[in-house]
Amino acid sequence: MSEMWINMGPQHPMTHGLWNLRVRIDGELILDVDPEMGYLHRGIEKISEDRHYNEVVTLMDRTCYVAGMAWEHLYILGAEKALHITPPERAEYIRTMSEEFQRIASHIMWYAAFVQDLGLMSPFLYGMRDRDLLLDLFQSYTGARMTYEYMRVGGVRNDLPHGFSDRARKVLDWLMERFKEYDQLCMGSDIFRRRCDGLGVLSAQDCIDFGVTGPMLRSAGVARDLRKDRPYSVYGRVDFDVARATTADVTGRYLVRMEEMRQSVRILRQVLDWLDRNPGPVMAENLPRWLGAPYAPIGREGYLLKREYPKGVGFAAIEEPHGEAAVYVVNEGGEHPYRVKFRSPVYVNLSAARKYLVGYHVADIPPIMGSVDVCVGESDR
Amino acid sequence: MAGDAAVPFVEIEALRSREFIPAAKEALSSMIAEQGQSKLIRPVFNWAGRNSLFPLHWGLACCAIEFAAAFGARWDAERFGVVPRSSPRQCDLMIVNGTVTWKVAHKLITLYEQMPEPKWVIAMGNCATGGGPFRTAYSVVPGVDKLVPVDVYIAGCPPRPEAMLDGILRLEDLIRLRKE
Amino acid sequence: MTAAPASSVQWPELLGNSLIALEPLEGTSGRLRFRAADAERVFRAVHDAGFHHLTLVGGIDWVDHREVIYTLWSDERKSYLFLSTDLPADHPSIATATKVWPSANWHEREAWEMVDIHFDGHPDLRHLLMPDGYEFHPLLRSFKLHEPEDLEVKVRHV
Repeated sequence: MSEMWINMGPQHPMTHGLWNLRVRIDGELILDVDPEMGYLHRGIEKISEDRHYNEVVTLMDRTCYVAGMAWEHLYILGAEKALHITPPERAEYIRTMSEEFQRIASHIMWYAAFVQDLGLMSPFLYGMRDRDLLLDLFQSYTGARMTYEYMRVGGVRNDLPHGFSDRARKVLDWLMERFKEYDQLCMGSDIFRRRCDGLGVLSAQDCIDFGVTGPMLRSAGVARDLRKDRPYSVYGRVDFDVARATTADVTGRYLVRMEEMRQSVRILRQVLDWLDRNPGPVMAENLPRWLGAPYAPIGREGYLLKREYPKGVGFAAIEEPHGEAAVYVVNEGGEHPYRVKFRSPVYVNLSAARKYLVGYHVADIPPIMGSVDVCVGESDR
Repeated sequence: MAGDAAVPFVEIEALRSREFIPAAKEALSSMIAEQGQSKLIRPVFNWAGRNSLFPLHWGLACCAIEFAAAFGARWDAERFGVVPRSSPRQCDLMIVNGTVTWKVAHKLITLYEQMPEPKWVIAMGNCATGGGPFRTAYSVVPGVDKLVPVDVYIAGCPPRPEAMLDGILRLEDLIRLRKE
Repeated sequence: MTAAPASSVQWPELLGNSLIALEPLEGTSGRLRFRAADAERVFRAVHDAGFHHLTLVGGIDWVDHREVIYTLWSDERKSYLFLSTDLPADHPSIATATKVWPSANWHEREAWEMVDIHFDGHPDLRHLLMPDGYEFHPLLRSFKLHEPEDLEVKVRHV
């Protein structure tokens, strides 16, 4: 009788980005939802067709602006398969290290924004403080805080600076202490528990049917993690556990992300030890000039050299902080990729919104959507 | 006499709040008989406005993360009186922090029109300034100044939080000089 | 289903005439090329063979024809499988995969919007990323990127 559609977005404190959640409500009860995407659709797949292979990396940082390194890694893995190039081992380790640092930074950003939505302000301040330490590390070897443009087809742009691993270990020690503090602030808070327990339940079967991946799937008890199931880069050589929860609700997703950060620290300690012991090149040898220049962008004349690589299709999938991300690169022999198709985890997790929102109340939307960890740049591309 | 009377107000604008009220009181009492009402109130408005800019709380793209970082512990943008508000009715500043697409263009204009006067716009980052790396894309507005008037442009992709704070301070300079 | 390497699935027996070729693809279980007319039967057979998770659906415009790619993941085999089929360039259409994998919903909406591939039987085929009424399909090769100064053209497009 009093049913109506309301818009939550595109400008709404709940959205954390530019999208619109249309909700059909009866009083406070949610009857139906319809996420409306595309407010940040920037045509990245189309622009990629017009760009040089290494230039696409620039777009990747901006595709997911909280996990730029992970998306660079994804694209580079796909492009290297399409171009039949193998990077040196040290570059693989540096990429793995970058991705894990990025995972912690992304989860801390999620923590800061999500808990603030529940009305707790101090986690935002603590989270941003600790994230800045990680961004300082990124800045020390890439020169940028968020948009790194660091990885290249065939390796990475430059080696780590002197003394990097000592600084990194100090940050990791600091973070391990802070994670305890985060847990006290949230799991010890009655408000947090009452607003999160039992909300947004999405069962394991629904997760698989609707393609939901990442912490949402693992919070339902399924231990699918591409780092373990289909190891890429050097994940097969490091020791870590897959974080899991069984409650499949908002608290479960919180616990999974917190545990993932601890596991990332564990991976990072092993990778940093390896990097200390094994100096070496970070770019593959004998690349054509337009790919081999360590400091791209390269002069226009470099583009004129014809490629001598065979055609090919590259596919790569990684466990991004938000879930399973995949890329499909078609190389038709030109200087530009013929087609680049991305799979964004957030995009798919949002498409199942009807499953985990209907039946709850309007006031539950911020915690539930916060636990999805929406990054619109990556979902709209 | 009328020419000299405006001078104390220029000095008053540089004062901090504790010194402002006694100074303003003295100036007002000495001049209220001779000066027009609007001429007296304008500097007071400018002083209040530039020290409490309320930007609209919305994140468009990458720059929104740096926008958020500026309110974190390290930069603490609130010390400049900048407090994000979620409703456009409470705002006098729109910081366009990211890529504007044609799909969101008319919503951005609606939000701008909902903000009460006087209002200002900061184009934060290269995308809002001129489309940035997505300038050629079919769905991207090449610069938000095609849609709303922009007062301050901040370069960077994304600009660091310091750059954003610098942009806000430039805007404060503009407000200080405002006559109407 | 017991854990078994993907190569042990006898795709020719399972799919019969629908299968055109099985091509190897580095790091995956390979790429199955199938006849578009038998799409529903192929989807069901592949799903029942253990590939429960749909990773992506993408369209590629090869100018003279279009290609649709389905990427699938099997938890038992820990492996990716690709399905690929060719469609004619004029009025390309294929049966929807949403009945088998509900997650195909948004992927197919995007493929229709970007590469102009019609999915028969899709429950909700409308614009997702572009505004309603947008009449172009940007990821076709014939669609050229604009000159940035050509503002008027872009306004007309929306």
